[in-house]
Amino acid sequence: MQGESCGGAKARSGIVYALGEVPVFRPGDRIRILTRSPIGHYRVPIYLRGKTGSVEAVIEPAGIDNEEEGYGRNAGEKLHYYRIALPMTEIWPEYAGSPRDGLRIEVFETWLERI
Amino acid sequence: MTVPRQGHDHHHHDHDHDHPHAEIARSERPGYYEIMETAVRELLVESKLIGPDEIRRQIEVLDSRSPALGAKVVARAWIDPAFRARLLADGRKACEELGVSFYDDTQLIVLENTEQVHNLIVCTLCSCYPRSVLGLPPDWYKLKPYRSRAVSEPRAVLAEFGTIIPDDVEVRVSDSTAMVRYLVLPRRPEGTKHYGEEQLASLVTRDTMIGVVPASLDAGRTAP
Amino acid sequence: MTQTEHLVKRLPNDIGGLPAEPIRQVDHELEPWEKRCHALADVLDFHKIINTEEKRCGVEALGAEMAGRLSYYERWIVAFSNILFRKGILAPAELARKMDEVEARWAAGQAHEGPGRAPP
Repeated sequence: MQGESCGGAKARSGIVYALGEVPVFRPGDRIRILTRSPIGHYRVPIYLRGKTGSVEAVIEPAGIDNEEEGYGRNAGEKLHYYRIALPMTEIWPEYAGSPRDGLRIEVFETWLERI
Repeated sequence: MTVPRQGHDHHHHDHDHDHPHAEIARSERPGYYEIMETAVRELLVESKLIGPDEIRRQIEVLDSRSPALGAKVVARAWIDPAFRARLLADGRKACEELGVSFYDDTQLIVLENTEQVHNLIVCTLCSCYPRSVLGLPPDWYKLKPYRSRAVSEPRAVLAEFGTIIPDDVEVRVSDSTAMVRYLVLPRRPEGTKHYGEEQLASLVTRDTMIGVVPASLDAGRTAP
Repeated sequence: MTQTEHLVKRLPNDIGGLPAEPIRQVDHELEPWEKRCHALADVLDFHKIINTEEKRCGVEALGAEMAGRLSYYERWIVAFSNILFRKGILAPAELARKMDEVEARWAAGQAHEGPGRAPP
């Protein structure tokens, strides 16, 4: 019973973590921003769809989906936002600046997949 | 246009708070959108959804926020390493230590400029900006050229502000989209070891905290 | 692929990376009504009558032409009106009537006392 229905996250202290409590991604994780095309309100810019990067930080505490929040209704469960690091050369094939240059953006959990 | 105090009889002017110009009704016709704003506000107050003084009060809040607050935070971080560490760990909390309250639900991440990294902030989707600690953003920050180009050609954008960053230094652009706001912590200019905190704060302009220019000793003589 | 999908898929405000001109470092002192409009946004968000994200959604919903041609705060006040209608907080006819009243008040050239008057 303990841990199995909640994705198995159980601390050594015996605490079982609730849904959404434990971030799915951790700093260092390699991720891809999904390529879906929502109709209506979104907060993940098109220039980043499908790009790969890594998680720089987990934003705490968990929050509601701002894309749902825009419609002024129950915006669903709280999940995490993640500060994502991407090299500029990953985003722009013709990037003209330094190869060291980078971008950071906060992205909601439902827009990310692990790679 | 006079502004009646709440609760007074409104048939006579209150002379104790009116300035002469306020007694004269506006001579120029208000625009369409101003009429809309006035009408929406009055209807909301009539329905008691917002209080009659809340707009006025929020204007005072807005007027109390300016780059001087951010400058104070930066100057403190320059002279106090422990504060700097707290600021980088939790920007909002450290600002609150200095009395800068946040009047919304946003968080603050302070981005430290170093020898290796130069930070720049932008909101491509709208105009997210650390208003609690910097006041309202300039028009150029909210307009298309900055918003579209800061993420794709930041060095060209910086050059338009007169800022050249060497190629071996990373230019790192943070695009605000959610509840986190950013503030750049510029590098402390050389030759300021003997400066007091207030003098240091005078070097920190709005544009240094957006990241389009570095802090320099020329600050007082040029535009924000 | 239709010829119009891109209009649906890209919101008018989603301009990151699009080509644009050099930056003109323009700024302007807010008109009093613009500042009142900004304060209104904050007060509406505080009361959760219209939260910040709803405001953004409302501005996006104006569509490309209005978004491109109205100024920053003009977009906000129109968006607020639309959202308040949708939520049933204000009725379009009510707002239109009040706007006529406000305009008539100014035209009459008198200082009019009423609730929620513009701060100096």
